[in-house]
Amino acid sequence: MKDLQYVILKKENLDGFISRMSRLRKVSAPVAKGNGEYAFEEVDSSDRIELKYKPTIMPPKKYFMPQEETLLEFSTAKGLATKPVVEYEKMTLFGVHTCDLAGIQCLNAVFSVRPRDYNYLTRKRQIDIIGLECGDYCDEHASCSMVSAHMPSGGYDLFFTDLGDYFIVHMNTQAGEEMIEATKCFESAEETHFDDLQSFRKKKRDTFKSEVQIEPRFIPGLFDACFESSIWKELDAKCLACGNCTNVCPTCYCFDIIDEVGLDLKNGKRYRKWDSCQLEPFAKVAGGENFRKERAARQRHRYYRKFRYPVAKYSKFFCTGCGRCSRSCMAGIHLKDTLNALIKESDSKIWKKWL
Amino acid sequence: MEKVVIKDSNYRIRKGKILRTKQLTKLEKLFEIALDGGESLDQEPGQFVMVSIFGVGEAPISVCSSPTKRGSFELCVRDAGKVTGAMHRLEAGDEIGIRGPYGKGFPIRILEGNDLLMVAGGLGIAPLRSLIKYAFDNRRDFGKIHIMLGCKTSDDLLFEDELNQWFKRMDVHYECTVDRAASDWDGHVGQITTLLPGVHLETERTFAIVVGPPVMYKFVLRELIKKNIPENQIILSFERHMKCGMGKCGRCQIQNLYCCQDGPVFNYADIKNMSEAL
Amino acid sequence: MKRPKVGFFDFACCEGCQLQVANFGEELLDILDVIDVVEFREVMSEKWEGDFDVAIVEGSITDKHAVERIKRIRERSKVLIAYGSCATIGGVNGMKNAFDLTDIRKYVYGSDYKFFKTQMTKALHQVVKVDYFVNGCPIYPPELVKVLKAALQGIPYYVPDYAVCVDCRLNENVCMYEKGVTCFGPVTRAGCNSWCVNNGNICYGCRGIVSNPNEKGMKEVLTKHNIPIEFILNKVNMYNKCRELVEGGEDDE
Repeated sequence: MKDLQYVILKKENLDGFISRMSRLRKVSAPVAKGNGEYAFEEVDSSDRIELKYKPTIMPPKKYFMPQEETLLEFSTAKGLATKPVVEYEKMTLFGVHTCDLAGIQCLNAVFSVRPRDYNYLTRKRQIDIIGLECGDYCDEHASCSMVSAHMPSGGYDLFFTDLGDYFIVHMNTQAGEEMIEATKCFESAEETHFDDLQSFRKKKRDTFKSEVQIEPRFIPGLFDACFESSIWKELDAKCLACGNCTNVCPTCYCFDIIDEVGLDLKNGKRYRKWDSCQLEPFAKVAGGENFRKERAARQRHRYYRKFRYPVAKYSKFFCTGCGRCSRSCMAGIHLKDTLNALIKESDSKIWKKWL
Repeated sequence: MEKVVIKDSNYRIRKGKILRTKQLTKLEKLFEIALDGGESLDQEPGQFVMVSIFGVGEAPISVCSSPTKRGSFELCVRDAGKVTGAMHRLEAGDEIGIRGPYGKGFPIRILEGNDLLMVAGGLGIAPLRSLIKYAFDNRRDFGKIHIMLGCKTSDDLLFEDELNQWFKRMDVHYECTVDRAASDWDGHVGQITTLLPGVHLETERTFAIVVGPPVMYKFVLRELIKKNIPENQIILSFERHMKCGMGKCGRCQIQNLYCCQDGPVFNYADIKNMSEAL
Repeated sequence: MKRPKVGFFDFACCEGCQLQVANFGEELLDILDVIDVVEFREVMSEKWEGDFDVAIVEGSITDKHAVERIKRIRERSKVLIAYGSCATIGGVNGMKNAFDLTDIRKYVYGSDYKFFKTQMTKALHQVVKVDYFVNGCPIYPPELVKVLKAALQGIPYYVPDYAVCVDCRLNENVCMYEKGVTCFGPVTRAGCNSWCVNNGNICYGCRGIVSNPNEKGMKEVLTKHNIPIEFILNKVNMYNKCRELVEGGEDDE
């Protein structure tokens, strides 16, 4: 089989590829941060790049939806003048796992539905994405197989699969092809390379098994039945409301909008900043009423925003199984545990009734 | 980092000029606003706008005038936070920023041809006034109109001069009550729910439209159900914290609904079982 | 436009927050373009006899004379900003409140202790009305600028009521608990951009405790990491002892 969409990159040529790319535009890739943690940072060679990494502290959403982003500049000095703006940077992301590709696809959906968010959509067009396949679980918190995010399904320009001393590379877009032509580090893929990829994927399918005891198609129903579950009360006792789970989530996108003026109090900017539904003031109105005052209600809201509400609106889960929320939770609230507890609880209450 | 102007940004602002202000109560002030260049706001009754006080921020404010009023619109603002506090210091001639209108307003096409029972508590009269005024301006299109108004004391009454006119109108059944009466008050005293039992309604053709603080809904709904008004003929409007008005920022979410896009006006039948709604 | 008259004052403190202001660097020049500093003991010798548009006050209240002086400053000021942990939450001076006041005086002043009257330590708002709070030991300079602007605009500034962890995670720091170190980020009010953790230090809780901390949950976390509760309470009290004060519960000894 000959497939022109595939090429290979020998490992010894990775450095050439990255350094050539970095001369053309900014390149960001996963690097080690110590204590077994990783982060996407700018690189100019392959030296610091970690090919085997557990999900970075922050997902690559930080490039698509920066933590702080100017929406508008204003001046009240000589009458009111406003100017809507977008800030962006042409860049290439290297080494994005399939879970994070799924996360970016979720954000794409959110910001593409009307009313469209042109700040996001403008920036998105400036970022090229190079995916990197996992052959094995990163750690016990991952649940990518549950949401079918362990296999590549679009969302990238190039996709790398590490097959020992070389990568097999899928060219998904013209932008990807241009990267390959511009850097001249790649070779065409032969029959044996495809055989290697096939056996890699076969082994992978045996490794990745759904991490929770429920078929994904039943998950929305599970959540319909669990709104008043006692599990949420248990999370109430544990949760410190630190917002870690939402800040590290590749599909969380809630934000605040803030005005900032200069010392002249006349010229300034309006920017949006990541916010979190886990923080107490989030759902509070001016009159003082707080519609999700209890931590239980806030945690529940987070889970429903992953597994129930987006299914109705976007026909997909907004969980990519990356495991970041569980990994970063000091209180030990683990997504897989929560799901399994809900399944177990509803097992006795709901499913049995149908039998 | 490149920075360019995006003309089609949904965060772009329309300039508005304050034509007139009126201090209604200690806490509430009325603003009449015209958009730059005589542009129409083109809102539906019950919709809201995001008001910008530059350097302070934005806040969602429901439009309290009817679209039948051309050339300008009105906002009734309670001094309750940073933006609304700063807004209270503005006077005629000052400029503000406007985004919107946003949200789903009152379902006029469904209400037409039916009797209306409009119930407002406190500041709830502000959004409801857009519908009341609309109905008055298109009076033929509606059946009987009942307006039930409640607030804490007579000092908190909004649009007092208008209320007196409503009282005089033949084609409107208007009643008003206060929780606590001062010595010069000769009207009803008691919670708004005390007005409802005395109203005669043809339930099959009456739509109840209720706007007020969260605590009011529970009690008013109980009375309406008691009067056999079908659940899908009860319309509510909610207040939530909002930042974008476009179903993105997440603040106003009620389970799977965004108050800013799916509301703020909801049919009771659609939200009655939602724990975060009422 | 006439520049508002601003006075800087200090009570029981280390003057470290004033030092932060003096060390602002170039931005200080921009600030001085918009405000008229008429009194600031740390950097100038002039005194101002009139009223202040804004008083910026460091330090906590620890004796009768301080009570009188802060009340006088409050009377002369349109706006009062408390800055630094001592002024906003009592700060390290509050540790005194864990001891008997007579014992404390004997320990510090020896046999002459009777000449030195003292009171339970209080934050400024426990004595006079405070319009703005800039927490921190020392203050985080960008926050003071933000508050100053809010004061000049006449709009409120709300100290964030969520944990330092929020900012810390956004800064992509490796969690201190991952490193096996105790940190107060989870219960401390944000607003400092996790300044200490960004620089390799832990959070000491100098900005005060969030208004609704999950004490039970935090205890579980500490137990999981084998950290004794008493150890933590002592550490928390280093900055936060004054929060226990009941209004009017002071005595002048």
